[in-house]
Amino acid sequence: MTRAWVANGLSRDLPAGVVMHGAWHGQDLAIWRSASGQIAAWKDRCQHRGMRLSHGFVRGETLSCIYHGWVYGTSGACGRIPAHPGLVPPSAIRAEAFACCEKDGVIWVAPAGTEGDVPDLAGLHPVRSLTVEAAGIEAPGLTGMEILQGSVMIAGQTVALGLVLQSLAAGRTAVHALCGGGGDVVAVSRWLEDLRRRLERGVAA
Amino acid sequence: MILYDYVLSASCYKVRLMAALLGVRLDHVAVDFHPGREHRGLAFRALNPAGTIPVLVDGDLVLTESTAMLVYLAHGTAWMGGDTAVAQAQVQGWLAFAARLGASLGMARLHDMLLYAADIAAVRRDGVACLRQMEAHLVERRFAGAIWLVGDGPSIADIACFPSVMLAPDGGVSLDDYPSVRLWTRAVRSLAGFIEMPGIHRLHELKPAPEAV
Repeated sequence: MTRAWVANGLSRDLPAGVVMHGAWHGQDLAIWRSASGQIAAWKDRCQHRGMRLSHGFVRGETLSCIYHGWVYGTSGACGRIPAHPGLVPPSAIRAEAFACCEKDGVIWVAPAGTEGDVPDLAGLHPVRSLTVEAAGIEAPGLTGMEILQGSVMIAGQTVALGLVLQSLAAGRTAVHALCGGGGDVVAVSRWLEDLRRRLERGVAA
Repeated sequence: MILYDYVLSASCYKVRLMAALLGVRLDHVAVDFHPGREHRGLAFRALNPAGTIPVLVDGDLVLTESTAMLVYLAHGTAWMGGDTAVAQAQVQGWLAFAARLGASLGMARLHDMLLYAADIAAVRRDGVACLRQMEAHLVERRFAGAIWLVGDGPSIADIACFPSVMLAPDGGVSLDDYPSVRLWTRAVRSLAGFIEMPGIHRLHELKPAPEAV
C-alpha cells in the first residue's frame, strides 16, 4: 500500500521566503514557505516550460519560476506572466498542488484531498535531517516502518528519539530526527552521524 | 591589481567575489582556459610555473593560490574571521578544506563540463563526504544561533568554500540532502555586494519585482 503522508523535512530547515525540492513517492515537488509563513507543496514543474519550480524564488506571497519568471500565488494559480504584463493569465494555468501540513516540526505532504491525520510525534522536538545510503536501514524487524521511536543512551543520557524515514530511492533514505525535551541536540546530531556510518558499513545500529 | 581570470572557474570566481564584497577593484585578464589551454602554454608558465588559474598580480607580488589571494585581499578586515588563536586556526582549517572541495566536487564538475579525466564515482563520493562534514558543522552552528563557518560574521572561510559547494550540481552532486548547507549558501548570496557567475545566481527576491514597461 502506498502511504499517503510522506515526511519531507523539518520546519526549521524551511524558513519564510525559501523554496526547496521535495518528493512524494518519486514525484518531484517544490515545497515553499511564503513571507507570511504559509507553506505549500506543488508538483516541481512550471506550466510554461516545465522548469523545476524548486529552482525558483519566493517574493512575498508568490513563487516565481527562475526561467521566465511566471509568478504563482499560494493557491497555485498563475497571477502574472512578465513577458505579457497586460495579460490576466487564464485560470487553467496553475501549479499542481499537493496537500502539505506541519506537525511537531515535521513537514508532511500527500496528494491533494488526502483524508486522515498525519502521524503523531507529540513531545518530540526536531533535530535535523540526514540522508543514509544503505540498503539496510529498513533492518530486519523494521521493514515497512516509517517511524522508529524509542529511547537510546546518548553521551550518558537516556534520550527519547523519533526517526521519521522518507524513502528517496532504492538504498537512499532521508531520516528526519526528533528528540525529547531536554535532549542535547549536538550530542544527538553526532549520534546520528555515527548511526549513519554504521548503517552504511552494513552494521546494524 | 590584475587577476588572470576565467569566467567559468570556481577558483577565479572565489577571488572576484571576495574583491566585490570588499569593494576592491580588480583588472581582469581573460585566460583561454578552455578550449585553448592557454594556462598550460609557455607564456603563462612563465608567470605561474604551476600552470593554474587564477593568478593575482599586484606590483612585484604574484599569487597563484586562490585562498592566499583571499588572505591578501581581506588582510586587516573582519573578513579574516577574528584574531584569536581558535578563530585563526578554524579559518585555516576551512581554507584547507576548500582544497578538498576543489579536488572532489570541483573535479567532478571539470569532468562533466570540460571532459577532464577523473574517476567520477570516486570524486563524487569524496564530494559527498565533504558536504556531509560541512552539513554536520553547520547543523551545530545553527543550534548555537550562528550560520557562518567561523565566528559571528562571514569570513574568508565562507568565501573559500562557497563556489565549489554552490556548483556541486554541475558535477552531478545534488545539494538536496543538505538543508543547513543550503541555508548557508543563501546567507552568502544575501551579502551586500554579492556577484554572480554562470551557474550561481543571486537571490532575485532581494530586489523588488521589476515594473512592467
